[in-house]
Amino acid sequence: MAITEAHAGRRYPACDPYQVSAAKIAEFATALGDDNPRYRDGSPIAPPTFAAVISAHAWNQLFSDPELELSLERIVHGDQGFTFHRPMRAGDVVIATVIIDRVRVRAGSELVSATVDMSDRDGEPICTAHATFYHAREALV
Amino acid sequence: MKATVAEGVELGTQLPTLTVCFTRERLVRYAGASTDFNPIHYSEHFARQAGLPGVIAHGMLTMGTALRVVTNWVGDPSRVTSYSARFTRPVGVPDDADGVEVEFSASVSAIEGSLVTVSIDAICAGQKVLGAARAEVDLGVRVPHRDHES
Repeated sequence: MAITEAHAGRRYPACDPYQVSAAKIAEFATALGDDNPRYRDGSPIAPPTFAAVISAHAWNQLFSDPELELSLERIVHGDQGFTFHRPMRAGDVVIATVIIDRVRVRAGSELVSATVDMSDRDGEPICTAHATFYHAREALV
Repeated sequence: MKATVAEGVELGTQLPTLTVCFTRERLVRYAGASTDFNPIHYSEHFARQAGLPGVIAHGMLTMGTALRVVTNWVGDPSRVTSYSARFTRPVGVPDDADGVEVEFSASVSAIEGSLVTVSIDAICAGQKVLGAARAEVDLGVRVPHRDHES
C-alpha cells in the first residue's frame, strides 16, 4: 500500500542523537556565506536554518518507511517553517522526532505535512520544524 | 546595540538588502555542510532526469541565505524566534564562473511589543523564488508604536 490520509498522526521513533560541533557550525555558516561572529566565537550558536540539517535526518525515517512507498527522487520540498525555542549551540546533543501531520492524496500525487520536534538530552525544546512535501506518484518528467 | 535597532523601527522600515551569487561551488559547499546530497543540486544528468532544465539550488540554501538579511540587521541570530517560507520557483545555477544572482530585500511588516515581523523577498531573474517568507525577531525592548512611516 502507499501513503494515505490514514497515516496522519504516525510518529516515528527518535533519531540517533545528533551532536552539534563548532566545526560543523562554521562549515554551515561558510556555506551560507555568512560571516556573523556568533557562529565562530568561543561558544558558537548555529545559524537558525541549521535546524533543517537535523530535520532532514528525521524526514529520512519517513521517506524510507516501506509502507509509504515514497520515492526520494519524486519528492519536492514545498514549504518550511521553524519555531526556535532557543538557539542551537555547539555541544548540544539534539534528539529529533518526526510525526506525519497530514496527508492529502490528489490525482497522481500526495501532499505530506510533517513536524520535527528537536530537543536536547534533558528534553528542553530547541526547535519545532514544519514542512510540506509534494510526492509525485509517477516520475516528475 | 539592539536598542539602537529598535529605536528606528517602524512599519515599513526597509532592511539593508543583500545580493548573492549562487555558483556550482556554493551548491557543493552547501551539499557538504547540510549533508543534502540530492544529485539535482550538482549533476546536470540527474537534474534533467527529474524533469528540471538543469541543476538547481537547494531550497534551504536560498531560505538560509535570505535570513542573513535579518540576522545582519539584528546582529544576534538568537533573536530570531520563527522563520517560514514557501519554495515557489527553483533557482537554476549555470555551470560557469559567474553563477546566478539572487537579490534579497526585507521590510518590517508587523510590530507587537518587542516582537518584529520581517517579510523577505528573494528575487532571481526578475521572479520571486520564495513565497510568504517571514521571520519574527525579538528585539528585547518594546518598539515605540508608530502606525505610519514618516
